[in-house]
Amino acid sequence: MLSVEALKIRYGEVEAVRRVDLAVDSGEIIALVGANGAGKSSTLSAIAGLVPAASGKVVFDGVDITGLAPEAIARKGVALVPEGRRVFASLTVADNLRLGGAVHLAAPEARAREEEMLELFPILRRYHRAKGGNLSGGEQQMLAIARALMSKPRMVLLDEPSLGLAPQLIDTVFDLIAELRRTGLTILLVEQNVALALEIADRAVVLANGEVVLSGTAKELASSDLVRQAYLGA
Amino acid sequence: MIAQQIINAVSLGGVYALLALGLAIVFSIVGLINFAHGELMTLSGYALLASLVLGLPFPVAVLAAVSCGALAALAMERVAFRPMRGASVTSLLLTSFAVSSLLKVVFQNGISARPQAVAMPGWMTGAFSFGDFTIGVGPSISIVVSALALIALEIFLRRTVTGTAMRAAAEDFDVVRLMGIPASRIIATAFLLSGLLAGLAAMLWVAQRASVDPLMGFTPVLKAFIAAVVGGLGSLPGAVAGGFLLGIIEVLLQATLPATIAPYRDAIVLSGVIAVLLVRPQGLIPAVRVQRS
Repeated sequence: MLSVEALKIRYGEVEAVRRVDLAVDSGEIIALVGANGAGKSSTLSAIAGLVPAASGKVVFDGVDITGLAPEAIARKGVALVPEGRRVFASLTVADNLRLGGAVHLAAPEARAREEEMLELFPILRRYHRAKGGNLSGGEQQMLAIARALMSKPRMVLLDEPSLGLAPQLIDTVFDLIAELRRTGLTILLVEQNVALALEIADRAVVLANGEVVLSGTAKELASSDLVRQAYLGA
Repeated sequence: MIAQQIINAVSLGGVYALLALGLAIVFSIVGLINFAHGELMTLSGYALLASLVLGLPFPVAVLAAVSCGALAALAMERVAFRPMRGASVTSLLLTSFAVSSLLKVVFQNGISARPQAVAMPGWMTGAFSFGDFTIGVGPSISIVVSALALIALEIFLRRTVTGTAMRAAAEDFDVVRLMGIPASRIIATAFLLSGLLAGLAAMLWVAQRASVDPLMGFTPVLKAFIAAVVGGLGSLPGAVAGGFLLGIIEVLLQATLPATIAPYRDAIVLSGVIAVLLVRPQGLIPAVRVQRS
């Protein structure tokens, strides 16, 4: 469904991503793991069109989307849940959700979708009229995911959904990601918590210093010496 | 006398508020302080003059003039600022200076450097009185128009999807684009609104002075800029608060200062601005903006 070929990203003189190749098939969860600064978030941002690719290409559904504006990529059905959640703090939960579906759905369809999201995330119904900035970190993460899902995307890019959350909340978020996969959604997950990511993913790609150093099924990686020593602390 | 001064103060404050809002809307979305905002105002003034000379009925002429301001703002964005998208704040600022100078020269050479009289309807300069109070029609209309414009803008920003997207874009533009909402639509709407507000402000300004000149927009927009900074640059409630505050203080000082100190009015006002910014560097009502590296 999505393939990234020889992607290179540069911020001025700094090469954040040297070369990333990866492919995501429909309906699977691929985890992109690695240490801080390995280039995971940059890769996601480039797929979503937020940062330009210095070279290489991104193909979604057979269409080259490299260099398209973020809004154009979003309209093709790719939704990014950005690192740090980035909910609109001064807007209500309701308005955050509405913007998520604003250009993708007609009004009645958007209302139905919002209702589905409130079913899936009961906490958002409770705080429907509250400002996004007044929610806790975990609630904001739920809101950020729900806002991305409002557009009925075919693929979701999740950037560090566990970041800064209490362990119990992390479980809730990951249960939810598993549930989303059951609905047929394709997910590319960036995660620093490698153990957690390998538990939920079908396949995984390990990045180090902007390059792919290892890839395979989650099971293979969980038992590989490199991953166990470098990331799982075993 | 006091009632009349209060009306004048609120009416001037309303004009500053409309202009400051126009500056703040554009700044909150694209980070540009548009120094050509004053020329939008001037252009609307000339459009009113032209419409009246052509013999259009007064309400139609006003409508045409305000629309001219809005369309000119759209054109300005398309021609001058869109090619500069993503450029540094300094480049944007210089671009707006260039647009401003260019338009001033066009007005001076294309029309006239001298003020042109605008034939405002007679009832505008009238006054109505009840009891001891005499209140000018012009300033009263000005207050009503400013209030209606503020309410309409508030409704637009709160109730419509585009308005909500604009509030969101002021906070985090990239995420708005991730929602599939086109950046160009948001930016064009910001300029359109700023042009509409400049056009309205121009009507109120011309109504009080019955003339247009190439530099008409300079002073009020400079004041509006000060108002926007005092209010908190990029904050819409701040721009309105700053605009009214500045207008009210100016008129009150005008009315109360003894003749020997009166020439220092602007110096006193600006000292006040410095004092406010020393205490609240982010302005009276700071903008909510997510800072990202």
